[in-house]
Amino acid sequence: MMIGLEVHVQLPTRSKLFCSCSTSAEEPNSSICPTCLGFPGSRPSLNRRALEMGVEIARFLDCKIPEEVWFSRKTYFYPDLPKNFQITQYDSALGTDGCFIVNDKSIGIWRAHLEEDPGRIKRVGKSGEEVSLIDYNRSGIPLVEIVTAPDLSSPEEARTFLQELLVELRHIIGTTAGDEQSVRVDANISMDGERVEVKNIQGLRNLEKALKFEASRQFKMHEAGMKVVRETRRYDEERKVTMSSREKETEEDYGYIGEPDLGTFSVGAMARSMSTAETPLRRAQRMAGHYALDFGKMRQIVLTSMPLADLFELLAQRVEPEIALAWTLGPISANWSALLSRLDDQVKEDLASIVVLIANREITDSEARRRIGALASGECPSDLSCAVEDGLLDSIISTYIDEHPQVVKDYASNPKSANSVIGHVMKVAKGKYNSQEVVEAVKKEIEKRN
Amino acid sequence: MSCHLTVEKLVTLNERYHPFSDLTKDLSDLTDYPPKFHFSAKDNICALGFQARAGSKILDGYRPPFDATVVRKMREADGILIGKTNMDEFGFGTFCTNSAFGVPLNPHDVERSCGGSSGGAAAIAALLEKHVSLAESTGGSISCPASFCGVIGFTPTYGRVSRYGLIDYANSLDKIGLIVRAPSDLRRFLPIISGPDKKDPTSCVQPRLELDGFKVKSVAVPEEALRNLDPAVLQAFEAALGKLKEQGIEAHRVSMPSLGFALAAYYVLATSEASTNLARYKGMLFGVRGGHIDQSFNDYFSEVRSANFGKEAKRRVLLGTYTRMVGFRDRYYLKALAVRQLIIKEYQGLMERDDAVLTPTMPFIAPRFTEIAKMKPLEVYQADFLTVPPNLTGMPHISLPCGYHDGMPIGMQFVAPHWEERRLLDVADRWCGEFKIRFPGAIA
Repeated sequence: MMIGLEVHVQLPTRSKLFCSCSTSAEEPNSSICPTCLGFPGSRPSLNRRALEMGVEIARFLDCKIPEEVWFSRKTYFYPDLPKNFQITQYDSALGTDGCFIVNDKSIGIWRAHLEEDPGRIKRVGKSGEEVSLIDYNRSGIPLVEIVTAPDLSSPEEARTFLQELLVELRHIIGTTAGDEQSVRVDANISMDGERVEVKNIQGLRNLEKALKFEASRQFKMHEAGMKVVRETRRYDEERKVTMSSREKETEEDYGYIGEPDLGTFSVGAMARSMSTAETPLRRAQRMAGHYALDFGKMRQIVLTSMPLADLFELLAQRVEPEIALAWTLGPISANWSALLSRLDDQVKEDLASIVVLIANREITDSEARRRIGALASGECPSDLSCAVEDGLLDSIISTYIDEHPQVVKDYASNPKSANSVIGHVMKVAKGKYNSQEVVEAVKKEIEKRN
Repeated sequence: MSCHLTVEKLVTLNERYHPFSDLTKDLSDLTDYPPKFHFSAKDNICALGFQARAGSKILDGYRPPFDATVVRKMREADGILIGKTNMDEFGFGTFCTNSAFGVPLNPHDVERSCGGSSGGAAAIAALLEKHVSLAESTGGSISCPASFCGVIGFTPTYGRVSRYGLIDYANSLDKIGLIVRAPSDLRRFLPIISGPDKKDPTSCVQPRLELDGFKVKSVAVPEEALRNLDPAVLQAFEAALGKLKEQGIEAHRVSMPSLGFALAAYYVLATSEASTNLARYKGMLFGVRGGHIDQSFNDYFSEVRSANFGKEAKRRVLLGTYTRMVGFRDRYYLKALAVRQLIIKEYQGLMERDDAVLTPTMPFIAPRFTEIAKMKPLEVYQADFLTVPPNLTGMPHISLPCGYHDGMPIGMQFVAPHWEERRLLDVADRWCGEFKIRFPGAIA
């Protein structure tokens, strides 16, 4: 099975791609102007931030980035497209020939380019009396289209690809969960022979569902000896089926020409001047290799938050990576939101010293948990350090034995008599010390007095 | 004297010559103190308070919600907009006979054309003293009517004047310019309308506009430009070359083979762009609405477009759509882009030796409407063979009256290198210092 995707991601800019209208508006048709409505005489001017975000994405996807890019007009008549042409990129792209690694498999990226979104059509009214309402707030919203090679081999893999891509984009350009829900995908799928394009699938879950349905449809047709025809279909979210959209079966002729109003933009220099920040999943891959730990666990850490990964790496410098991992994913993750809210260098150091103590078996697990909880709730870190004062354990033991001299006498004939001392210490110290430590200290004190 | 201009006078002028497609009803702002001047804008230049129909029925009733940058600048400089001037629909024409709102008549002879597509702009400049017309040229729409009406047509370098608010014909070719009566008007108004505007990114790469500091010494005259001319035009042009020589401007006869390809390249590029620009007229957001909204979208917009686009607009949409199609795109559109570069190079080559290139503006004097009616579309396109080349290159050019035949003006056209508008101002000053421009008697 071969699957290729065209992923449309909305860029989280404040204003639209070619005008200064806001990208966040609730009331329909409240964020519009002559340019995004295509009024005669209006013209586009490019939002630099959108171009930068697009180039960042192309760079991240290891694309070849040209020195200069330009825009084209893709002409087709549709009610949601104010100018009846879309400004997009055709014989120019932000980047080409890249790749993205999913589960150790490299998925080819054919191209990434920038384009404007059309408006949104809403059909209302009873069947037969439907009217179409158009909201142009979306007209001119910047999109990056990422086109993959047909390297994906299952609906699950396609979903994983998109999921992981969105994780990385969230980090690179600051997309949000809302932007991710609005991701739109056109998927090309071919079992064996003609490819079918399923257009306008919205969101991750629908992508997998649509592809699964389409794969099984094509498989059944194949089994029945029927030919799959090359066509465009659309996914019906309600009925969970793909349906032929009865469009022309040949490639539509969009009559591309250059967009003369925008000129060319130097993106080569822009790309070279950008710094490379490590993205979450690439970091997880690096950490898994560096610390010889499971990628899935590393993924879990980076996806919780990049500062958690920073903390993990701090701990892994001080203690065995396995211990660092156990405490990062355990008590630290459990208290993460509270810890994150007060995470400064002191708190990081306190957390590190707690984990060092536990690694050296100087405090008990429950004591470590208690201290992490205390840090999370903002208790004074000095309360934590006073509990580990040297000699405190010995003084508790000797005070108790002084008051109960019988214990020492009984010990010679019955070593279990030490248990009353141990029980007392554990009760008084509330788990500050580990049991083995207490047992040894008690034995030592009794034997000293004998 | 601006105080002598009245609405009644404008209405009378318009009844006789039809230069306007929309006219002010109030001139009370046109005061002598503080001093104001009056100007008009070609109907494809948007202005608050007026319709902007670009000569097309499909935009009937459209009132743009903003001023074009040039209109705003003229208003800020104390200009009073008195009307929108008639034009060929979307600029598609050479004789201003393709307007949905009447045909302007030549002030020198009402049986003849004003030229196009800025016909109304040239006519009103010829008719009204102290008037300045904002015009626009894609393939010669300033030079041609200026030549036919015997006034000065100035087309700046592409990108010199913001196109924000100009209703597009072909964005890579469209240039807003001036039609005026005297070189001093150019010196006054060119700096006002020029300059970078962030609303039109193509205007933001320009160097500063210089008005002085260049004295033209020689011009290149391509042999190819002197073929297929009306003998009267050739005669007037040769006489002008003689007078220029007396003024210290030497003419060098040169060969410019690429001139022969300009027309074909122009019509491919211009119609390709035009066919996408006109896609937006679908009877929805602006302009006329269709009557039957219960049809499918395709039927709806097809009905609106069929009913409201003129014949020439339909022809150019078809031509332009064809040249963009898969399979033809390489053969026509991309090839035309290459030819355009070739022509630019050839001009630049000529201007290494000579300061400007000089040709007649139009191959004949303003034709009679009866003659135009007999012309085939291709013959009409052919008439632009001298005005199209500089437009294709984006170089600044000027049409100056250089002689008369049968009482009708004849024009010559100087082309200067990109951003060298000052060379054109220099020749305009020197030529008009001696040549007496004849203005038709305006209505008293």
